[in-house]
Amino acid sequence: MSTALALPAKIGASLLQIAEQAGGIAIMAGQILRRLLPPKIDRIEFFRNMYRMGVQSTAIVAATAFFTGCIMVIQAAPIVQNFNANHYVGWSAMFTTFREIGPLLIALMFNGRVGANNTAELGTMVVTEQIDALRALAIDPVTYLVVPRVLSMIITMTALVILGDALAILGAIVMANVMLDMHPVGFVNHALEMLVLWDFLVGVIKAFFYGSMISLSSCYFGLATRGGAPGVGRAVNASVVASASGVFIADYISSFVLG
Amino acid sequence: MRCRERVGPVIRVEDVHLRFKAPVLKGVSLHIPEGCIYVLIGPGAAGKSVLLKCIAGLLRPQRGRIWVAGEEITALDDLQMMQLRKKIGMLFQNYALFDLSVGENIAFPLRRLFDLPQNEIEERVAERLERVALPGIQNRIPASLSGGQKKRVGVARATIAKAPVVLYDEPTAGLDPVTSQKIYNLIRDEQRAQKSTVVVISSDVAGALTIADRVGMLHRGELIFDGTVDEARTSKHPAVDQFVHGKTEGPL
Amino acid sequence: MTTATETNAMPTKTDAEAEVRKPGAFQFYAEELSDLLRVTIRTFYYIVRGKREKGDVIRQCFEIGNKSMFFMAVTMAFIGAIVLFQMCMQAKRIIPDLTMIGGMYAKLLIRELAPSVGAMPFATRVGAGIAAEIGSMVVTEQTDALRMSGADPVDYLVVPRFVASVIMGTIVLVLGAGIAYGAGFVVGVTTFDINPNTFINFTSVKGGDVALGLIKCVCYGGIIALVSSQRGLRTFGGSEGVGIATTQAVVGSLFAVIVANFILSSVGHFVFPP
Repeated sequence: MSTALALPAKIGASLLQIAEQAGGIAIMAGQILRRLLPPKIDRIEFFRNMYRMGVQSTAIVAATAFFTGCIMVIQAAPIVQNFNANHYVGWSAMFTTFREIGPLLIALMFNGRVGANNTAELGTMVVTEQIDALRALAIDPVTYLVVPRVLSMIITMTALVILGDALAILGAIVMANVMLDMHPVGFVNHALEMLVLWDFLVGVIKAFFYGSMISLSSCYFGLATRGGAPGVGRAVNASVVASASGVFIADYISSFVLG
Repeated sequence: MRCRERVGPVIRVEDVHLRFKAPVLKGVSLHIPEGCIYVLIGPGAAGKSVLLKCIAGLLRPQRGRIWVAGEEITALDDLQMMQLRKKIGMLFQNYALFDLSVGENIAFPLRRLFDLPQNEIEERVAERLERVALPGIQNRIPASLSGGQKKRVGVARATIAKAPVVLYDEPTAGLDPVTSQKIYNLIRDEQRAQKSTVVVISSDVAGALTIADRVGMLHRGELIFDGTVDEARTSKHPAVDQFVHGKTEGPL
Repeated sequence: MTTATETNAMPTKTDAEAEVRKPGAFQFYAEELSDLLRVTIRTFYYIVRGKREKGDVIRQCFEIGNKSMFFMAVTMAFIGAIVLFQMCMQAKRIIPDLTMIGGMYAKLLIRELAPSVGAMPFATRVGAGIAAEIGSMVVTEQTDALRMSGADPVDYLVVPRFVASVIMGTIVLVLGAGIAYGAGFVVGVTTFDINPNTFINFTSVKGGDVALGLIKCVCYGGIIALVSSQRGLRTFGGSEGVGIATTQAVVGSLFAVIVANFILSSVGHFVFPP
């Protein structure tokens, strides 16, 4: 191959790879939907995953959300002071946290914690031939492994965003009190005056889409693992990167559509 | 005969205890005389690899003391330990070759531990590869080699620094009997040429005993046998008798 | 004799085992933090006293910087577009005048968004990569082989990654800030009909803002490399262990970035007042 064509060839190759992965994820989504009509779910696996994913991530999500609330006030403070509108700080911080930063940061955290863990687990099952063993026992890996994981990831992600919103409010209240001497009651009253239910719902709807994104890609990359312990590492790496890109793209689209 | 204790032990292990989640070594004491090939046998999960890593200073026992080549390694900190590594070479069970070319892999300990001119390093790498019967493969990458070839490259790396103590962790695991015997012979010839002290871990008793001067057997974290090859073959200890002769009936 | 010692040993043994099985969360984090501190101190020690391998830092710069550039460019463009969109939505409710958006956006981008929000995808990409690579080396005994060859894994593996992550993290995030600014510009001009000139007006951006932004970039780059390297070095077990280490590296470096951001933003608020 001539050097002049090396760069376009490389770009083309990576585009083909992205297309292959997107296609693989779409096929997996189709397989999952087919098993949901009528619902065929392994209930024990489903509740086990719900418990594990939910409990595992509560602490880290709560801490993330709390600090996010604090930071949003630190960032909003100079801007509202600029306009001499101190009482807007609560609304400004909450608006951004609910609609944007909260779901986004929690999704990234969830991606690292649950998504990566899920890929690692499925990847290990692939390299230790456990998936083949399931097939040999006439157990469908999609019904037994993928469907419960995807469903519980979507549900826990949505629930975690609601929890995170609450913790972010707490962080914002604390920070506003420390930095701007705002009384908690006044802060919340001002914020509630201007916030509408829709601001909160936008975040929850986004969480649903992020959850689907992360769950599908982490299962896909986990089952596509090849080649021993280094392969598992590579799969986890590919999965978190793909999920993060997916989350940002979904965020952009949903912000415009739901705005 | 070479290894009667004339000059005292090169490796001395005293009452070593080590535990992870469960106890692995439960009070192991061991003397290995200079210029000796000491073969450590035992069933899986007996603590052989862990003991070897303690001797190499890669793991620190929770209790007990270890001397290697006149230094009490359990009293050294990590940085002093780095210096002592000039005197210890090691072959790992899964080769543990780096993502470098074969030549760079073999030269690596020499380059990190000693200040030598580049051409001398290259000469010694070439000499080592000749020695392990793989001449001229400096520029290949380890991934393109077979299991036996990787082991031989590992042997070359373990012996390049001419260390007085060389440790081999399962040098023949996963190899066919012919290749295994070749590796054992290579280990013995190397030991004779360098006059080094060698510890070999093996679960392949028959092969390992062909080169052994002394034998020790670990079982459930305790040293249940220590003696010459003939003593091992005629031992009355039920576990040793069973393991050395490969019987299915017995305490194991 | 043996039975006597065994019966004596039994109760202590079970006690110790119970302790191992339930290492209180506090004890666990305390141990991990002290290990992280140990790795950090060693890293700085070896930066001064270590043995340089030719080309190692450059190779890591390529791995950490160039290979994550495409991913970072895409995410930063979306971040820029989203943030400007949200800012305009908010500003519209307070004051209908959007002429100051450009300057405010630049200031916010430099102080906070480009370094801190940008560090999140960077930590995901780089943290997972470093931990997966070092973790694989640990389970294949390559780190033991390094130590036997007189190369401390912290010197041979962590130092080049740390240096490369500090350098390339800063470069990637600065470039990312440019991309995010461009994306915000496009959204502002096309969706909200903002006068393009407001985006060229950088008078509200002060030296302190740039300094704070750069300090954040440098700190995040270093933190991400240290946290994920430490996770990688603590890998235990086979392929499952590598997966766990990678997971912990991503979560740990994300969380470390958030905590560092909180500290740096609070301190920056007083040292470099906006």
